[in-house]
Amino acid sequence: MSYKDKVKTELFPTIWCPGCGIGLIMTQLAMVMDDLGLDKTNTVIVTGIGCTGRMGAYMQFDSVYALHGRTLPVAEAIATVRPELNVIVASGDGDISSIGGNHLLHAIRRNPRITVLCNNNEIYGLTGGQTGPTTPIGTKTVSSPAGATYSPINLQGLVNTNPNAFYAKTTVYHQGQMRKAIKEAVEWPGFAFVDIASQCIENNGRRIGFPSANEMLNFYKKEYRQAPAGSTQLANRQLGIVKGRPAGPEPATVGAGAGKGSGEA
Amino acid sequence: MAKRLLQGNEAMLLGAVRAGAGYFAGYPISPSSEILMAASVYAASHPELRFLQAEDEIASANAIIGASLAGAKSFTATSGPGFSLMQEAIGYAHKLRVPTVIIDVQRVGPATGMPTMPGQGDILQTRYGSSGDYTSIVFYPSSVAECYEYTIRAFNCAEESRSPVVVLSDAFLGHLNEVVDLDAIEVPVVSRTLEPLASGSTRLFSGVATYPDGEPATADADEFIRQYEEAKAHRLEVADRYAFYEYGWNTDAETLVIAFGITRRIAQPLAPHFALFRPIRIWPVLQDHLREIAQRYRRLVVIEGSDGQYASVVERVLYRDVHRVPLLGGRMSLEAVREGLDRIGLLPPELAEAAV
Repeated sequence: MSYKDKVKTELFPTIWCPGCGIGLIMTQLAMVMDDLGLDKTNTVIVTGIGCTGRMGAYMQFDSVYALHGRTLPVAEAIATVRPELNVIVASGDGDISSIGGNHLLHAIRRNPRITVLCNNNEIYGLTGGQTGPTTPIGTKTVSSPAGATYSPINLQGLVNTNPNAFYAKTTVYHQGQMRKAIKEAVEWPGFAFVDIASQCIENNGRRIGFPSANEMLNFYKKEYRQAPAGSTQLANRQLGIVKGRPAGPEPATVGAGAGKGSGEA
Repeated sequence: MAKRLLQGNEAMLLGAVRAGAGYFAGYPISPSSEILMAASVYAASHPELRFLQAEDEIASANAIIGASLAGAKSFTATSGPGFSLMQEAIGYAHKLRVPTVIIDVQRVGPATGMPTMPGQGDILQTRYGSSGDYTSIVFYPSSVAECYEYTIRAFNCAEESRSPVVVLSDAFLGHLNEVVDLDAIEVPVVSRTLEPLASGSTRLFSGVATYPDGEPATADADEFIRQYEEAKAHRLEVADRYAFYEYGWNTDAETLVIAFGITRRIAQPLAPHFALFRPIRIWPVLQDHLREIAQRYRRLVVIEGSDGQYASVVERVLYRDVHRVPLLGGRMSLEAVREGLDRIGLLPPELAEAAV
């Protein structure tokens, strides 16, 4: 058995652009699955709309290719009906925090046992390179020719509204650290969010001055630093895994046992 | 169980339970909230029904799809504005061929409208509200007993058709209290037809057009047509086994009244003077039955809580004009029916005086 058994190599080459970061995430996820024994009898993948959404089709699992922004309600319901399953969400920054923002807020609040891998390439890649909720302010994109108007959304801050939740920041360059973050997220007994900086060379990188994906990966290597051990909050461009307080025994979505629940109000 | 006084909304919850529902996700909205509340109470002491009050109707509609894929019979309950929010998810459930049930307790629209007043203005949105082409199956009971019965049938139909089946109701019917004997209503329950997630396969449940192997088919018209026609034929074949309607009153009369839901009950005093065709299966249209029955009548009048949504359907199907009695703004009463008939010259003299 190898991690390659987790993917449908007969469908390769994938539709992702040469230089896309998503394939790097899929590879590390497959390695984690091989390591932890995740297979089609105990794991389900839910993907959103955007280039990241294509991931489920390439993997040897039952996979749900959801509506734009709606991975989290689907994933949470699966986790409720089948608490024994590993439910892994792979989605982009726009799918998860723009159109999916309200569901993100409430999934964080309810703390279901799901793993969210966010391909955070700071752009809407599939539709040609529009600005997204995580695009840095001032970035010129096809829908912000004068520079993105607003500050990016604070994903870590959102996750931190629930002290029980798990947040990790990593990049597709730092493959070992990413693999560790994904593994610990999958093992986390509640809501786990892995925020993965990833490059979109074709519909973002080239427009903002990177000649190729190589330069974008080197950018992550140069700009991102490991956070000090024991950090409870990651600063901008810091890599790290911040684990919340594990929640109480009852997942919040179960209706029985009024008054018992996860975490404090 | 002996006879008991039961509310329409609560009867739907009991019907869902009887059908084996294992998951409810919903959002409070008048006049459907009793279903959510009753589901929460039932779930608190019956862990086999998982309950979620979701953040909105969009989450609810997507959650019930996830739950159904995972192996639970699932349902939600809402009203017109919430149903509008659920439309993309409804199209998604059609595309995935996932069984689920959506209850729509109608109120006056559009938008927030009149939250506590009955309406029947969702007829077209339950058929055409999502983008693209798909084959809806929709039922609309007229009594508390039927609320129970047709909710069970909706779950059965959902399993057989592998689609999101809609059960309509309205603010009056949902809050109507009638004495029913639920044990006397025997409807066999159809088991799950969809293999749950993680059963050992590597299926792709995709809203995007794909080939069976999961590759995108986003530019292949032949593949699209092949999949669409297969799903449509299957849905129509199943719907044929659920062709429920009522035909009665004075079948020798000159005029046929077409009415459904609570309107049929409100118009009951018309019975000596009119024939009645009451569709219980609203969609697909009961075309053959309508054609066969309507041809016997010189005049047709559709009495409904909208500005002719179902009347427009009847006209299209029969290629003939129908008279209309629209009951708008929540004024769904015998008085309003009489006024409407009188305005178009169809009120029999015997009904001219207030004889209720």
